[in-house]
Amino acid sequence: MNGSTGGSDDAPPDLCSPFLDALPVSGVSVTVMAGSGLRSTLCSSGSVAIRVDELHLELGGGPQSEALRTGTIIAIPDLATDGHTGWPLLGRALHELGVGALFAIPLQMGAVTVGVVTLLRDRPGDLTPRQRAAALAIASASAVPAAIHTLASADREDSRETPAAPALRREVHQATGVVLARLGISATDAFARLQAYSFATGRSLLDVAHDVVAGTLALDDNDS
Amino acid sequence: MTIESRETRLSTAFVRLADTLVADYDVVDLLHWLVEECTSILDTQAGGLMLIDPAGRLQLIASTSEEAQLVEVFQLAGGDGPCLDCFRSGKPVTVADLSEETATWPRFVPEASQLGFRSVHATPLRLRDQVIGTMNLFSRHVGALKDEDIRVAQALADVATIGILQERNIRSAELIAEQLQRALDSRILIEQAKGVLATTLGTTVDGAFHIMRTHSRDRNLPLRQVADDIVARRLHLGA
Repeated sequence: MNGSTGGSDDAPPDLCSPFLDALPVSGVSVTVMAGSGLRSTLCSSGSVAIRVDELHLELGGGPQSEALRTGTIIAIPDLATDGHTGWPLLGRALHELGVGALFAIPLQMGAVTVGVVTLLRDRPGDLTPRQRAAALAIASASAVPAAIHTLASADREDSRETPAAPALRREVHQATGVVLARLGISATDAFARLQAYSFATGRSLLDVAHDVVAGTLALDDNDS
Repeated sequence: MTIESRETRLSTAFVRLADTLVADYDVVDLLHWLVEECTSILDTQAGGLMLIDPAGRLQLIASTSEEAQLVEVFQLAGGDGPCLDCFRSGKPVTVADLSEETATWPRFVPEASQLGFRSVHATPLRLRDQVIGTMNLFSRHVGALKDEDIRVAQALADVATIGILQERNIRSAELIAEQLQRALDSRILIEQAKGVLATTLGTTVDGAFHIMRTHSRDRNLPLRQVADDIVARRLHLGA
C-alpha cells in the first residue's frame, strides 16, 4: 500500500474534531464502553472535557452509562437548574466545574452501541433537533474507527496513554490489583475502595491510583 | 457564505451520510454525493474522488462535472499532478496558483489551466497509515483554501473513509462489539494482575509483566488466563 499519514500508528484517530467543527460545543470526548468498568477514552478536547470523562469513571453511572444503556441521546441542557436526580453527585461536580450543558451521544454501529460521545457547552443551552441529528450522525460515522482503534491498542502492551487520550487509564487497574492483593478483597471491591478514597479526599482517581502504584499511598481499613 | 449556513450545510451533510450508512447503499452513490457536497460547502467549482482498486491502482470513482472528470483522468494517465502527490504522501496538497507550478507538474498544469482551473486542494482519504484515495477540489479562482476549510475537507474525507469501510464492516457490528468487550476485559485483567504481582513480589509493574509473560510463554498459556488466575489468587508466581 502506498502513502503514510506521517503520524504514529499508535495515535488514536482524531474523532473529536468533526464534532467541534460541525457543532456549537466547547468540549468533546469520545469513549468506547463495553459495560460496567470496561471503558477506553480515545480523545478529549481539553482539560474540562478530560475531567468530565474522569468524573464519570470516579463517580460511576451518569449520562455516559445512560446513553450506553438506552442507545439514545441523554441531554442536560442546563446543569444549573436540572435536578439530575439520577446522578446528584456527578451533576453537582459538573456544575462546579463550569459545565453549562452536557449531551451524551451513543456511538452506534447499527443496533449495537459501542461507546459514548460526550459534548459540553460552557453555557446552558439545548442543541436543536437538527444539531442532535448531526451529532448522532457523526457519532455513528465514528463508531467503527473508534472500535477498531480500541481493539488494536488494547492488544498492545506498550500503547501510549496521554491526558488527552487516556485510553484505559492503566494505572487505575494496576492500583486495583495492588489494593486487592494487599487487602485480600475482590477486584470490584478494590476498585470501589479507590473510588471511595478519591471521593473522600477530593483527589482525582488517577492521582490516587498513581500514588498507590508508586507505593506512596497504602489504602488500608483506616483510609476509607 | 456565512458561518451559520455552513454549519447548517455540514449538519445536513452528516445527517444525509448517516441515513446512507444505515440503509443498503451503493458506495459509489455515497462518494458522488460526498464530493458534490464538499465542492459546494467549500465554495469550489468542481471536485473528484479517486480510490485505490484491489490491485492498488487509483481509479476515478466520482466527479462533479465533465471538466473535473477530464482533469482527473488526465492526471491518472499522465502520472503527474497534485492529487497523485497527495495520494503518494498521504498529506493534503494545496496549490493556490497553478500557473506557478508548471515545473512541478509539466503535464498536469497546462491541461488543468485549459479547462479553466486556477487552484486545487487535494485531501487524502486515510485510515491510520493507509491511504485509500484522495478527494480533490478544483477552483476557477486563484487562492488557497482557508485553514478552516482544509480542516472541514479533511473531516469530511475522514467520514468518507469511514463510510467506505463501514460497507465492509456493517454486517459484523455485533462481532466487533463482542471483540471489544473481550479485548477491554483482557487488558484490564492484565493490568490488575500486574498490580497484584508487583505487590506480592515487591517488583515494579514492568517487572511484574515480564514474570507473567514468561510464565505464559513457558506454559504455553494465554496471557489473559494467567492474568485471570493471578487476580483470582489461584496462581501465585515467584520472582
